[in-house]
Amino acid sequence: MEADELLVLVAGGDQKAFEELYGLVSGPVFGLVRRVVRDPAQSEEVSQEVLLELWRSAARFDPRRGSALSWILTLAHRRAVDRVRSARAAGEREQREAHRAHHTAFDQVTEEVEAGLEREWVRRCLERLTELQRQSVTLAYYDGYTYREVAERLSLPLGTVKTRMRDGLTRLRECLGGVA
Amino acid sequence: MSLRDRFHREDLHSLAAPYALDALEPPERVRFERHLKECDSCGAEVRALSEDAIRLAWSTVAPPPPAMRDRVLAAVRATPQEPVRQQGAVRQQGADWQQGSDWQRESVRRREPARARKSQLPPHVWGAQPPPRARQRRPLFVPFATATAAAALVVASLFAVQADRTQDELDAQKAQASEIAHVLQASDALATRGQDAQGRSIGVIASASEGRAVVTLSGYSAPPGGRVRQLWLMRPNEQPRSLGLFGTDTPLVATGLDKSATSLAVTVEPDGGSPQPTTQPVVQLTLKSVGFGE
Repeated sequence: MEADELLVLVAGGDQKAFEELYGLVSGPVFGLVRRVVRDPAQSEEVSQEVLLELWRSAARFDPRRGSALSWILTLAHRRAVDRVRSARAAGEREQREAHRAHHTAFDQVTEEVEAGLEREWVRRCLERLTELQRQSVTLAYYDGYTYREVAERLSLPLGTVKTRMRDGLTRLRECLGGVA
Repeated sequence: MSLRDRFHREDLHSLAAPYALDALEPPERVRFERHLKECDSCGAEVRALSEDAIRLAWSTVAPPPPAMRDRVLAAVRATPQEPVRQQGAVRQQGADWQQGSDWQRESVRRREPARARKSQLPPHVWGAQPPPRARQRRPLFVPFATATAAAALVVASLFAVQADRTQDELDAQKAQASEIAHVLQASDALATRGQDAQGRSIGVIASASEGRAVVTLSGYSAPPGGRVRQLWLMRPNEQPRSLGLFGTDTPLVATGLDKSATSLAVTVEPDGGSPQPTTQPVVQLTLKSVGFGE
Protein backbone atom coordinates (compact mmCIF):
# COMPACT_ATOMS: atom_id res chain seq x y z
CA MET A 1 0.00 0.00 0.00
CA GLU A 2 1.08 3.57 -0.59
CA ALA A 3 1.76 6.03 2.19
CA ASP A 4 -1.31 8.03 1.20
CA GLU A 5 -3.70 5.13 1.68
CA LEU A 6 -1.96 4.04 4.85
CA LEU A 7 -2.21 7.47 6.37
CA VAL A 8 -5.98 7.39 5.89
CA LEU A 9 -6.15 4.07 7.73
CA VAL A 10 -3.86 5.39 10.43
CA ALA A 11 -6.20 8.33 10.90
CA GLY A 12 -8.88 5.77 11.70
CA GLY A 13 -6.76 4.29 14.47
CA ASP A 14 -5.34 1.33 12.55
CA GLN A 15 -2.12 0.36 14.33
CA LYS A 16 -1.20 -2.28 11.74
CA ALA A 17 -1.39 0.38 9.07
CA PHE A 18 0.86 2.55 11.18
CA GLU A 19 3.42 -0.23 11.36
CA GLU A 20 3.36 -0.50 7.60
CA LEU A 21 3.60 3.26 7.27
CA TYR A 22 6.55 3.20 9.63
CA GLY A 23 8.27 0.77 7.28
CA LEU A 24 7.76 3.15 4.37
CA VAL A 25 8.60 6.48 5.92
CA SER A 26 10.94 5.90 8.84
CA GLY A 27 13.96 5.82 6.52
CA PRO A 28 13.15 9.08 4.75
CA VAL A 29 12.20 10.75 8.05
CA PHE A 30 15.25 9.57 9.95
CA GLY A 31 17.58 10.30 7.05
CA LEU A 32 16.31 13.83 6.63
CA VAL A 33 16.34 14.56 10.34
CA ARG A 34 19.83 13.18 10.72
CA ARG A 35 21.01 15.22 7.76
CA VAL A 36 19.87 18.39 9.51
CA VAL A 37 20.39 17.54 13.18
CA ARG A 38 23.52 15.40 12.69
CA ASP A 39 23.80 14.25 16.29
CA PRO A 40 22.63 10.60 16.21
CA ALA A 41 20.85 10.56 19.58
CA GLN A 42 19.04 13.81 18.93
CA SER A 43 18.17 12.70 15.42
CA GLU A 44 16.55 9.63 16.82
CA GLU A 45 14.62 11.65 19.35
CA VAL A 46 13.33 14.10 16.76
CA SER A 47 12.43 11.26 14.38
CA GLN A 48 10.43 9.61 17.13
CA GLU A 49 8.57 12.83 17.79
CA VAL A 50 7.74 13.17 14.14
CA LEU A 51 6.56 9.59 13.74
CA LEU A 52 4.43 9.79 16.84
CA GLU A 53 2.99 13.05 15.63
CA LEU A 54 1.97 11.24 12.44
CA TRP A 55 0.00 8.82 14.51
CA ARG A 56 -1.65 11.52 16.57
CA SER A 57 -2.41 13.88 13.76
CA ALA A 58 -2.96 11.62 10.76
CA ALA A 59 -6.49 12.97 10.43
CA ARG A 60 -5.12 16.36 9.47
CA PHE A 61 -3.57 15.08 6.29
CA ASP A 62 -5.46 16.33 3.27
CA PRO A 63 -4.59 14.31 0.13
CA ARG A 64 -5.74 17.14 -2.14
CA ARG A 65 -2.83 19.22 -0.99
CA GLY A 66 -0.07 16.89 -1.93
CA SER A 67 1.31 13.47 -1.25
CA ALA A 68 1.56 11.90 2.17
CA LEU A 69 5.31 11.66 1.86
CA SER A 70 5.58 15.38 1.17
CA TRP A 71 3.45 16.15 4.16
CA ILE A 72 5.48 13.86 6.36
CA LEU A 73 8.83 15.17 5.18
CA THR A 74 7.72 18.76 5.58
CA LEU A 75 6.79 17.97 9.14
CA ALA A 76 10.08 16.17 9.73
CA HIS A 77 12.09 19.02 8.27
CA ARG A 78 10.34 21.63 10.36
CA ARG A 79 10.99 19.68 13.53
CA ALA A 80 14.61 19.02 12.63
CA VAL A 81 15.26 22.66 11.89
CA ASP A 82 13.63 23.73 15.14
CA ARG A 83 15.84 21.33 17.01
CA VAL A 84 19.08 22.27 15.34
CA ARG A 85 18.40 25.95 15.89
CA SER A 86 17.67 25.60 19.55
CA ALA A 87 20.76 23.47 19.91
CA ARG A 88 22.78 26.12 18.14
CA ALA A 89 21.27 28.81 20.27
CA ALA A 90 22.28 26.80 23.30
CA GLY A 91 25.80 26.74 21.95
CA GLU A 92 26.05 23.00 22.30
CA ARG A 93 27.33 22.57 18.83
CA GLU A 94 29.66 25.49 18.68
CA GLN A 95 32.75 23.58 19.43
CA ARG A 96 32.02 20.71 17.13
CA GLU A 97 31.13 23.11 14.39
CA ALA A 98 34.36 24.97 14.78
CA HIS A 99 36.22 21.77 14.18
CA ARG A 100 34.29 20.75 11.17
CA ALA A 101 35.23 22.31 7.91
CA HIS A 102 32.10 23.31 6.15
CA HIS A 103 31.29 21.32 3.08
CA THR A 104 28.45 22.09 0.82
CA ALA A 105 25.61 19.73 1.33
CA PHE A 106 25.90 17.67 -1.78
CA ASP A 107 29.39 16.61 -0.88
CA GLN A 108 28.14 15.14 2.33
CA VAL A 109 25.25 13.50 0.64
CA THR A 110 27.64 11.18 -1.10
CA GLU A 111 28.79 9.91 2.26
CA GLU A 112 25.37 8.53 3.06
CA VAL A 113 24.94 4.82 3.32
CA GLU A 114 22.54 4.18 0.53
CA ALA A 115 23.14 5.46 -2.94
CA GLY A 116 19.76 5.38 -4.55
CA LEU A 117 18.70 6.67 -7.89
CA GLU A 118 17.01 9.64 -6.27
CA ARG A 119 20.15 10.54 -4.41
CA GLU A 120 22.11 10.52 -7.60
CA TRP A 121 19.53 12.69 -9.32
CA VAL A 122 19.42 15.25 -6.55
CA ARG A 123 23.18 15.38 -6.49
CA ARG A 124 23.38 15.85 -10.21
CA CYS A 125 20.74 18.53 -10.19
CA LEU A 126 22.37 20.39 -7.34
CA GLU A 127 25.53 20.45 -9.37
CA ARG A 128 23.70 22.23 -12.12
CA LEU A 129 22.84 25.16 -9.91
CA THR A 130 25.15 28.11 -9.67
CA GLU A 131 27.44 28.03 -6.68
CA LEU A 132 25.45 30.70 -4.84
CA GLN A 133 22.10 29.10 -5.63
CA ARG A 134 23.34 25.78 -4.37
CA GLN A 135 24.84 27.15 -1.20
CA SER A 136 21.82 29.29 -0.42
CA VAL A 137 19.50 26.34 -0.81
CA THR A 138 21.59 23.73 0.95
CA LEU A 139 22.70 25.86 3.89
CA ALA A 140 19.05 26.50 4.59
CA TYR A 141 17.59 23.11 3.89
CA TYR A 142 20.30 20.71 4.96
CA ASP A 143 21.91 22.79 7.67
CA GLY A 144 18.89 24.59 9.06
CA TYR A 145 20.24 28.13 8.75
CA THR A 146 17.82 31.01 8.40
CA TYR A 147 18.17 33.09 5.27
CA ARG A 148 19.70 35.84 7.39
CA GLU A 149 22.35 33.46 8.62
CA VAL A 150 22.91 32.23 5.09
CA ALA A 151 23.38 35.82 3.93
CA GLU A 152 25.89 36.36 6.68
CA ARG A 153 27.82 33.21 5.93
CA LEU A 154 27.98 33.93 2.24
CA SER A 155 28.47 37.68 2.72
CA LEU A 156 25.55 38.46 0.47
CA PRO A 157 22.73 40.98 0.79
CA LEU A 158 19.46 39.52 2.10
CA GLY A 159 17.66 40.22 -1.14
CA THR A 160 20.24 38.30 -3.11
CA VAL A 161 19.93 35.27 -0.88
CA LYS A 162 16.16 35.25 -1.19
CA THR A 163 16.44 35.40 -4.95
CA ARG A 164 19.10 32.70 -5.08
CA MET A 165 16.93 30.47 -2.97
CA ARG A 166 13.98 30.95 -5.26
CA ASP A 167 16.00 30.49 -8.42
CA GLY A 168 17.75 27.48 -6.96
CA LEU A 169 14.50 25.78 -6.06
CA THR A 170 12.96 26.54 -9.41
CA ARG A 171 15.95 25.18 -11.24
CA LEU A 172 15.90 22.10 -9.11
CA ARG A 173 12.27 21.62 -10.07
CA GLU A 174 13.13 21.82 -13.74
CA CYS A 175 15.95 19.37 -13.36
CA LEU A 176 14.13 16.90 -11.16
CA GLY A 177 10.76 17.43 -12.77
CA GLY A 178 10.81 14.21 -14.74
CA VAL A 179 11.65 12.06 -11.75
CA ALA A 180 8.89 11.21 -9.37
CA MET B 1 -3.31 50.01 -1.26
CA SER B 2 -0.73 52.57 -0.34
CA LEU B 3 2.73 52.47 -1.78
CA ARG B 4 4.04 51.58 1.59
CA ASP B 5 1.63 48.66 1.94
CA ARG B 6 2.53 47.45 -1.48
CA PHE B 7 6.19 47.65 -0.72
CA HIS B 8 5.56 45.77 2.48
CA ARG B 9 3.67 43.09 0.61
CA GLU B 10 6.31 42.65 -2.02
CA ASP B 11 8.88 42.45 0.67
CA LEU B 12 6.89 39.75 2.41
CA HIS B 13 6.29 38.03 -0.85
CA SER B 14 9.99 37.58 -1.44
CA LEU B 15 10.04 35.39 1.65
CA ALA B 16 8.24 32.58 -0.16
CA ALA B 17 11.41 30.66 -0.97
CA PRO B 18 12.99 31.03 2.48
CA TYR B 19 9.65 29.99 3.93
CA ALA B 20 9.57 26.89 1.76
CA LEU B 21 13.05 26.03 2.97
CA ASP B 22 12.08 26.61 6.62
CA ALA B 23 14.61 29.41 6.65
CA LEU B 24 12.56 32.06 8.42
CA GLU B 25 12.84 32.98 12.04
CA PRO B 26 9.70 32.19 14.03
CA PRO B 27 8.30 35.75 14.14
CA GLU B 28 8.85 36.10 10.40
CA ARG B 29 7.24 32.75 9.84
CA VAL B 30 4.16 33.95 11.67
CA ARG B 31 4.08 37.20 9.72
CA PHE B 32 4.48 35.39 6.45
CA GLU B 33 1.72 32.95 7.25
CA ARG B 34 -0.53 35.87 8.05
CA HIS B 35 0.37 37.33 4.69
CA LEU B 36 -0.47 34.03 3.00
CA LYS B 37 -3.94 34.25 4.37
CA GLU B 38 -4.53 37.55 2.61
CA CYS B 39 -2.64 36.80 -0.58
CA ASP B 40 -4.69 34.83 -3.08
CA SER B 41 -1.86 34.26 -5.52
CA CYS B 42 0.68 33.14 -2.93
CA GLY B 43 -0.75 29.80 -1.92
CA ALA B 44 -0.02 27.90 -5.11
CA GLU B 45 3.44 29.37 -5.38
CA VAL B 46 4.38 28.56 -1.83
CA ARG B 47 3.11 25.03 -2.23
CA ALA B 48 5.13 24.58 -5.41
CA LEU B 49 8.28 25.90 -3.77
CA SER B 50 7.68 23.68 -0.77
CA GLU B 51 7.40 20.67 -3.03
CA ASP B 52 10.69 21.68 -4.63
CA ALA B 53 12.33 21.90 -1.24
CA ILE B 54 11.10 18.42 -0.35
CA ARG B 55 12.93 17.01 -3.35
CA LEU B 56 16.09 17.79 -1.47
CA ALA B 57 15.03 15.22 1.11
CA TRP B 58 15.14 12.47 -1.50
CA SER B 59 18.86 12.25 -1.17
CA THR B 60 18.96 11.79 2.57
CA VAL B 61 17.19 8.48 3.18
CA ALA B 62 18.93 6.44 5.86
CA PRO B 63 17.85 3.40 7.86
CA PRO B 64 16.85 4.32 11.41
CA PRO B 65 18.23 2.36 14.37
CA PRO B 66 16.19 -0.84 14.73
CA ALA B 67 15.28 -0.10 18.38
CA MET B 68 13.51 3.07 17.33
CA ARG B 69 10.72 1.03 15.79
CA ASP B 70 9.79 -0.63 19.07
CA ARG B 71 9.87 2.63 20.93
CA VAL B 72 7.67 4.39 18.43
CA LEU B 73 5.20 1.53 18.25
CA ALA B 74 5.04 1.32 22.06
CA ALA B 75 4.38 5.05 22.23
CA VAL B 76 1.71 4.71 19.56
CA ARG B 77 -0.08 2.06 21.60
CA ALA B 78 -0.17 4.39 24.58
CA THR B 79 -1.11 7.53 22.69
CA PRO B 80 -4.65 8.42 21.72
CA GLN B 81 -5.19 10.18 18.44
CA GLU B 82 -6.70 13.52 17.78
CA PRO B 83 -10.30 12.97 16.86
CA VAL B 84 -11.29 13.49 13.25
CA ARG B 85 -12.97 16.84 13.32
CA GLN B 86 -16.26 16.63 11.50
CA GLN B 87 -16.65 20.35 11.60
CA GLY B 88 -13.32 20.76 9.89
CA ALA B 89 -14.25 18.21 7.27
CA VAL B 90 -17.39 20.10 6.38
CA ARG B 91 -15.57 23.35 6.21
CA GLN B 92 -13.14 21.80 3.79
CA GLN B 93 -15.75 21.59 1.06
CA GLY B 94 -14.33 24.03 -1.43
CA ALA B 95 -12.78 26.02 1.32
CA ASP B 96 -9.15 26.85 1.20
CA TRP B 97 -7.01 27.83 4.08
CA GLN B 98 -6.97 31.42 2.95
CA GLN B 99 -10.60 31.69 3.86
CA GLY B 100 -9.87 31.59 7.50
CA SER B 101 -9.79 28.65 9.80
CA ASP B 102 -9.43 28.29 13.49
CA TRP B 103 -5.77 27.99 12.86
CA GLN B 104 -5.48 31.43 11.40
CA ARG B 105 -7.75 33.01 13.92
CA GLU B 106 -5.57 31.53 16.56
CA SER B 107 -2.37 32.59 14.95
CA VAL B 108 -3.31 36.23 14.97
CA ARG B 109 -4.47 36.20 18.52
CA ARG B 110 -2.21 38.66 20.13
CA ARG B 111 -1.90 37.07 23.49
CA GLU B 112 -0.22 34.05 21.93
CA PRO B 113 3.38 34.80 21.16
CA ALA B 114 5.05 33.18 18.21
CA ARG B 115 6.72 30.47 20.15
CA ALA B 116 3.45 29.18 21.48
CA ARG B 117 2.75 28.19 17.90
CA LYS B 118 6.07 26.60 17.40
CA SER B 119 4.86 23.06 17.56
CA GLN B 120 2.12 23.67 15.07
CA LEU B 121 2.54 23.63 11.39
CA PRO B 122 1.28 25.98 8.73
CA PRO B 123 -1.91 25.31 6.84
CA HIS B 124 -0.20 24.17 3.68
CA VAL B 125 1.42 21.43 5.69
CA TRP B 126 -1.53 20.37 7.72
CA GLY B 127 -4.15 20.71 5.07
CA ALA B 128 -7.36 22.49 5.76
CA GLN B 129 -8.04 20.96 9.12
CA PRO B 130 -6.89 23.15 11.92
CA PRO B 131 -5.08 21.77 14.91
CA PRO B 132 -7.21 21.40 18.00
CA ARG B 133 -7.86 24.58 19.87
CA ALA B 134 -6.86 24.98 23.40
CA ARG B 135 -10.11 25.27 25.29
CA GLN B 136 -8.46 26.91 28.20
CA ARG B 137 -4.98 27.82 29.13
CA ARG B 138 -3.30 24.72 30.30
CA PRO B 139 0.30 25.52 30.86
CA LEU B 140 2.09 22.46 29.62
CA PHE B 141 -0.12 21.05 26.97
CA VAL B 142 -1.54 24.02 25.20
CA PRO B 143 -1.89 22.54 21.70
CA PHE B 144 -3.11 19.24 23.00
CA ALA B 145 -5.88 20.21 25.34
CA THR B 146 -8.25 17.73 23.76
CA ALA B 147 -5.88 14.84 24.15
CA THR B 148 -6.04 12.69 27.21
CA ALA B 149 -3.42 12.73 29.87
CA ALA B 150 -1.84 9.66 28.36
CA ALA B 151 -1.17 11.67 25.25
CA ALA B 152 -0.03 14.54 27.36
CA LEU B 153 2.51 12.25 28.89
CA VAL B 154 4.07 11.39 25.63
CA VAL B 155 3.69 14.92 24.48
CA ALA B 156 5.57 16.22 27.47
CA SER B 157 8.49 13.97 26.87
CA LEU B 158 8.68 13.77 23.14
CA PHE B 159 7.35 17.04 21.92
CA ALA B 160 9.07 19.26 24.43
CA VAL B 161 6.19 21.64 24.06
CA GLN B 162 7.00 25.25 24.53
CA ALA B 163 4.27 27.73 25.21
CA ASP B 164 4.26 31.15 26.72
CA ARG B 165 5.71 30.40 30.09
CA THR B 166 8.25 31.80 32.43
CA GLN B 167 11.79 30.53 32.33
CA ASP B 168 11.32 28.82 35.68
CA GLU B 169 8.30 26.95 34.44
CA LEU B 170 10.14 26.00 31.29
CA ASP B 171 13.08 24.77 33.29
CA ALA B 172 10.86 22.71 35.56
CA GLN B 173 9.12 21.24 32.55
CA LYS B 174 12.37 20.55 30.84
CA ALA B 175 13.61 18.70 33.89
CA GLN B 176 10.44 16.68 33.99
CA ALA B 177 10.46 16.10 30.24
CA SER B 178 13.99 14.80 30.46
CA GLU B 179 13.01 12.45 33.28
CA ILE B 180 10.19 11.17 31.15
CA ALA B 181 12.39 10.94 28.10
CA HIS B 182 14.79 8.94 30.20
CA VAL B 183 12.11 6.36 30.90
CA LEU B 184 11.04 6.26 27.29
CA GLN B 185 14.56 5.83 26.05
CA ALA B 186 15.11 2.74 28.17
CA SER B 187 15.45 -0.29 25.96
CA ASP B 188 12.78 -2.14 27.94
CA ALA B 189 10.26 0.71 28.15
CA LEU B 190 6.74 -0.64 27.83
CA ALA B 191 3.34 0.95 27.98
CA THR B 192 0.06 -0.16 29.47
CA ARG B 193 -3.31 1.41 30.19
CA GLY B 194 -6.19 0.57 32.43
CA GLN B 195 -9.73 1.84 32.34
CA ASP B 196 -12.47 1.98 34.90
CA ALA B 197 -16.17 1.49 34.21
CA GLN B 198 -16.65 5.20 33.56
CA GLY B 199 -13.99 5.19 30.85
CA ARG B 200 -11.48 7.10 32.94
CA SER B 201 -8.03 5.71 32.55
CA ILE B 202 -4.56 5.41 33.94
CA GLY B 203 -1.62 5.17 31.57
CA VAL B 204 1.82 3.90 32.43
CA ILE B 205 5.08 3.76 30.57
CA ALA B 206 7.57 1.84 32.64
CA SER B 207 11.08 0.52 32.48
CA ALA B 208 11.75 -2.40 34.79
CA SER B 209 15.51 -2.10 34.37
CA GLU B 210 15.42 1.56 35.38
CA GLY B 211 12.80 1.02 38.07
CA ARG B 212 10.98 4.05 36.74
CA ALA B 213 7.55 4.74 35.40
CA VAL B 214 5.65 7.66 34.00
CA VAL B 215 2.04 7.63 35.11
CA THR B 216 -0.84 9.69 33.82
CA LEU B 217 -4.51 9.93 34.60
CA SER B 218 -7.11 10.87 32.08
CA GLY B 219 -10.78 11.61 32.26
CA TYR B 220 -10.71 12.54 35.93
CA SER B 221 -12.04 15.89 36.95
CA ALA B 222 -10.17 17.85 39.61
CA PRO B 223 -10.53 16.20 43.01
CA PRO B 224 -12.93 17.88 45.43
CA GLY B 225 -11.56 20.91 47.27
CA GLY B 226 -8.67 20.35 49.61
CA ARG B 227 -8.04 16.86 48.32
CA VAL B 228 -5.43 15.35 46.05
CA ARG B 229 -4.86 12.15 44.10
CA GLN B 230 -2.06 10.04 45.42
CA LEU B 231 -0.27 7.23 43.61
CA TRP B 232 0.64 4.06 45.46
CA LEU B 233 2.90 1.19 44.68
CA MET B 234 1.41 -2.16 45.67
CA ARG B 235 3.64 -5.12 46.47
CA PRO B 236 2.74 -8.53 47.82
CA ASN B 237 2.76 -8.76 51.63
CA GLU B 238 3.84 -5.17 52.01
CA GLN B 239 2.21 -1.87 52.88
CA PRO B 240 1.44 0.37 49.93
CA ARG B 241 4.24 2.83 49.28
CA SER B 242 3.46 6.39 48.21
CA LEU B 243 4.87 7.33 44.82
CA GLY B 244 3.73 10.92 44.96
CA LEU B 245 0.84 13.25 44.32
CA PHE B 246 -0.66 14.09 40.96
CA GLY B 247 -0.56 17.72 39.95
CA THR B 248 -3.01 19.13 37.48
CA ASP B 249 -2.46 17.87 33.96
CA THR B 250 1.07 16.72 34.53
CA PRO B 251 2.25 13.15 34.53
CA LEU B 252 3.89 11.73 37.60
CA VAL B 253 7.34 10.24 37.37
CA ALA B 254 7.76 7.35 39.80
CA THR B 255 11.23 6.14 40.61
CA GLY B 256 12.73 3.36 42.66
CA LEU B 257 10.25 0.71 41.58
CA ASP B 258 11.50 -2.75 42.30
CA LYS B 259 10.70 -5.81 40.29
CA SER B 260 8.31 -7.13 42.91
CA ALA B 261 5.89 -4.26 42.26
CA THR B 262 2.60 -5.83 41.25
CA SER B 263 0.34 -2.88 40.68
CA LEU B 264 -0.28 0.82 40.98
CA ALA B 265 -3.26 2.33 42.71
CA VAL B 266 -4.66 5.84 42.95
CA THR B 267 -6.61 7.12 45.93
CA VAL B 268 -8.08 10.47 46.85
CA GLU B 269 -6.42 11.82 49.98
CA PRO B 270 -6.47 14.98 52.06
CA ASP B 271 -4.31 17.82 50.78
CA GLY B 272 -0.64 17.01 51.19
CA GLY B 273 -1.21 13.27 50.87
CA SER B 274 -1.31 10.50 53.45
CA PRO B 275 1.34 8.10 54.75
CA GLN B 276 -1.00 5.23 53.97
CA PRO B 277 -4.11 5.15 51.78
CA THR B 278 -7.23 6.26 53.68
CA THR B 279 -9.74 5.57 50.92
CA GLN B 280 -10.55 2.89 48.38
CA PRO B 281 -8.52 3.15 45.16
CA VAL B 282 -10.30 4.99 42.38
CA VAL B 283 -8.28 3.04 39.86
CA GLN B 284 -5.74 0.27 39.97
CA LEU B 285 -3.43 -1.14 37.31
CA THR B 286 -1.34 -4.28 37.26
CA LEU B 287 2.26 -3.89 36.17
CA LYS B 288 2.76 -7.40 34.92
CA SER B 289 2.57 -6.45 31.26
CA VAL B 290 5.33 -3.89 31.68
CA GLY B 291 7.90 -6.23 33.18
CA PHE B 292 7.17 -6.08 36.89
CA GLY B 293 5.55 -8.44 39.37
CA GLU B 294 8.31 -11.00 39.62
